[in-house]
Amino acid sequence: MQGFSDILQRLYEMTAIGSLGETPAYLLMYFIAFLLLYLGIVKKYEPLLLVPIAFGVLIANFPGGDMGVVQADPQGFVTLPDGSREVIWDMPLHKIAHELGIMNYLYYALIKTGLLPPVIFMGVGALTDFGPMLRNLKLAIFGAAAQFGIFAVLIASLLLGFTPQEAGSLGIIGGADGPTAIFTTIKLAPHLLGPIAIAAYSYMALVPVIIPLVVRLLCTKKELCINMKEQDRLYPEKLEIKNMRAVKIIFPIAVTTIVALFVPTAVPLIGMLMFGNLVKEIGSDTGRLFQVASGGLMNAATIFLGLCVGATMTASAFLNLQTLGIVVGGFLAFALSIASGILMVKVWNLFARKKINPLVGATGLSAVPMASRVCNGISIKYDPKNHVLNYCMASNISGVIGSAVAAGVLISFLG
Amino acid sequence: MENLGLGLLLMGVGMVTVFCILLIVIFGSRLIIALVNKMAPAAASSAAPDIKPVLDAAVACLTGGKGRITKITEL
Repeated sequence: MQGFSDILQRLYEMTAIGSLGETPAYLLMYFIAFLLLYLGIVKKYEPLLLVPIAFGVLIANFPGGDMGVVQADPQGFVTLPDGSREVIWDMPLHKIAHELGIMNYLYYALIKTGLLPPVIFMGVGALTDFGPMLRNLKLAIFGAAAQFGIFAVLIASLLLGFTPQEAGSLGIIGGADGPTAIFTTIKLAPHLLGPIAIAAYSYMALVPVIIPLVVRLLCTKKELCINMKEQDRLYPEKLEIKNMRAVKIIFPIAVTTIVALFVPTAVPLIGMLMFGNLVKEIGSDTGRLFQVASGGLMNAATIFLGLCVGATMTASAFLNLQTLGIVVGGFLAFALSIASGILMVKVWNLFARKKINPLVGATGLSAVPMASRVCNGISIKYDPKNHVLNYCMASNISGVIGSAVAAGVLISFLG
Repeated sequence: MENLGLGLLLMGVGMVTVFCILLIVIFGSRLIIALVNKMAPAAASSAAPDIKPVLDAAVACLTGGKGRITKITEL
């Protein structure tokens, strides 16, 4: 009889149920995971990223599962299951896998090294068409104005008591670019990776809600009815592109060279973005590279990035006031970036003959191409013939370059 | 206050850098376009005549013979 109760006791200890009773915070983490899964699967908010992130959150929060990422302290120490402490950078990868589980192996090999965000950027580059930007080069400048939110929230975060590195990571959410936000956070404040990645991707998913909100607050109906095609007809572009293919091949090489010379810390992002784009634009000669960059490799990187980012959100690391600050600050950064793009268009319109629809400024933040699609939707609501998609894409794509450059500046100064 | 100074410095440097890089990209791209127009303008529409029958067939197949191509524009 004694033996039977021992077996029952061992069985109970084997399950995670006992630990759940001792630490109810895990239940809240399950709720967050289920909510994110719901948003990804049912509401279709960025499902390619939200589903792996949410599942990572779920599997990281089962006591005994060894799937939660163990963050090293500022000196690099981690606590092993036997209570001893070791410097993570002195541990070989197989020991990390053995002592801390495979998720830590993946995290320290793929994420902490900063490998996956540039790989994803290569895929993004392979899927990006710079044609709309090249046809409307002037509009690309609004991609710069929309980076204001990054730095405004950085200052606000500093005043709220975040360290400069944490503030930089928080502000970069305003760039509306997931891989850039993750890359910057890995470099500056890796302990905040989970909440910052969640905030960045959640707000990107909420672009259809946030952009109309800011536009409604800042734009008049008359401004939203500015017809870009009509403006083009009245004031035509003087520079005609006679060989778009050649320009598209030279463009990524030139941009990489320019950015690498001025902001070398942005090269892992911009360089890979432009490499992916180059193999696309060359065409059939590099078709196999394009297929890998935009297909299998990008998808594999997305899976591992999502799961590992989700696994950083353990109950102890996520449930605190700092996370709340990140959620609020991230929203502010996002909204301010949209607003600053719109305001720059308004200032531009004060002086220019050729007027620009302020929706072009609203897409200066990244979130390609969803931001452009949303703005086009707003535009045709006011005038069914006023399609601004191509014009919005110009500032939208330049916003990707702008946010990567802003990240490079932050990493240079704070890293 | 020290942190505020750092934040303002970062904002100044960051925004100026982003604007400068994008201005260089814009003017650099205009230069590239001008040079390509001058040195290699001919390749623009050389492929169109050859692929027209293929596109016609594909559109006819997809639309059950109801659709047809009226204009091809090089992107």
